[in-house]
Amino acid sequence: MQSVSVQDRVSEAVAAVMPFQIRSRAFTAVVLRLSADPSNGFFDALDRQLKQAPHFFSNAPMVLDLGRSDTLTQVDDFADLVSELRLRNLSVFGVQNATPGQSAAALEAGLITLTGGREVPHSRDRRDLRAEQAPTKAAPAPAAPEPEPEPEASTLMVTQPVRSGQRLFADRGDMVVLAPVSSGAELIAHGNIHVYATMRGRALAGVNGNRNARIFCQDLDAELIAIAGLYQTSEDLSPEVRGRRIQAFLRDDALCVEALK
Amino acid sequence: MAKIIVVTSGKGGVGKTTSSAAIGAGLALRGHKTVVIDFDVGLRNLDMIMGCERRVVFDFINVIQGDAKLKQALIKDRRNDNLWVLPTSQTRDKDALTQEGVETVLNELREDFDYIICDSPAGIERGAHLAMYYADEAVVVTNPEVSSVRDSDRVLGLLNSKTSRAEKTGAEPVQAHLLLTRYDQGRVAKGEMMKVEDILEILSIPLLGIIPESTTVLKASNVGMPVVFDDKSQAAKAYEDAVSRLIGEQLEIQLQPVERPGFFQRLLGRTA
Repeated sequence: MQSVSVQDRVSEAVAAVMPFQIRSRAFTAVVLRLSADPSNGFFDALDRQLKQAPHFFSNAPMVLDLGRSDTLTQVDDFADLVSELRLRNLSVFGVQNATPGQSAAALEAGLITLTGGREVPHSRDRRDLRAEQAPTKAAPAPAAPEPEPEPEASTLMVTQPVRSGQRLFADRGDMVVLAPVSSGAELIAHGNIHVYATMRGRALAGVNGNRNARIFCQDLDAELIAIAGLYQTSEDLSPEVRGRRIQAFLRDDALCVEALK
Repeated sequence: MAKIIVVTSGKGGVGKTTSSAAIGAGLALRGHKTVVIDFDVGLRNLDMIMGCERRVVFDFINVIQGDAKLKQALIKDRRNDNLWVLPTSQTRDKDALTQEGVETVLNELREDFDYIICDSPAGIERGAHLAMYYADEAVVVTNPEVSSVRDSDRVLGLLNSKTSRAEKTGAEPVQAHLLLTRYDQGRVAKGEMMKVEDILEILSIPLLGIIPESTTVLKASNVGMPVVFDDKSQAAKAYEDAVSRLIGEQLEIQLQPVERPGFFQRLLGRTA
């Protein structure tokens, strides 16, 4: 999970003297809990699960939970499992709840051992339910896939005014701003940008090239708006959209700014 | 335990030092023991505005560097026993300020005083940064014009991120107040200056007071008297009201009516 405060961003921008910065940051990973011997029908079941939500698991960081799988002890077994999972675009990088022997084997197969880790709260109930049902099924339960990504986790929610000279960056998704954005402030997001107050600064959405990103403003008075690198400055903005509720989006390589009805 | 209040603005020439002197004197008049510290190292002005420039022997920098005791550098105002000034050095520059030094001096002052007013230099560099760093509250001095408003906005961002309170987790953020100075109702009406509502909408912080543009402010500065000691002028009244609000009194903000020259004044021309 990611939590970014306004302050962090500012101090980062100002303190860019060192050639690198060390930051502690928490990420969400998917945990794949193996129930028994993975060889037996495991991959078929996994493939069925993946088909249901193909994009969700794609390249998601993944941890193997070995709490119920004592049989998996050999380096080769780990290596095979990892390569099979990676074939399915699952980025396995670690194991947890491993015995010391399993840890050593996993390490040799290129997996690190993780301790701790908490469940994402709201999905726990559902997962426990599923875990109870699992033993009654004939096929080995295909590891309850863990949490769906929480929408808030990837959305940067800003409730304080964004002041001139401040620069906020939503590096995983959308940005929602519930306070005025001053002239000289900069909002940058990989996804969409919403500003539910007066927007006088700069807004750059879809900065990693996402051409479907949009910008929504309650009251447009921006210095610059840009989507995927295509921009308009305040001089280009037509008087019809100024001070209105608007959305900005790309249509045929052109940045369109339209008033919302 | 004293409350530390920084008077800051980003932009120069908006009235930080005048306001520091007036607020300091206003607090002292109400019986609060107050010290005003000049953080503008190298461009020392506070002592002149407070009328004690001839009595400066040691200064803030001497204290920071251990060349003088704090008691030797503090100057007591001749008009009010509760008002003290800690002048700065005219010959040094801002690098002479150290964070540890500032903290030590402020901690020592906290023991004895009710209010510590830090008169910040213009800009957002070292001097201004250290002036705001230990503040509990901030008075952001702004003129009704766009560049001043934008600079104030920048300073508000720094108050929220680059102060001791912002860096400490769980601490209350620095409480910022807006002090509008050099406000000319006539020029606002003509559209030459920004309206109060527009400024408040941009800065979104509570308004502490509106100080009208007034010749008495300049006159008072020139003779080294904080404006509030001139109890007849509108500016003095406005500063007194601002001080009341600063210490938590609820006072309605009243815009001064446009001053119309009287019949005789018009007849005699601009003699006043």
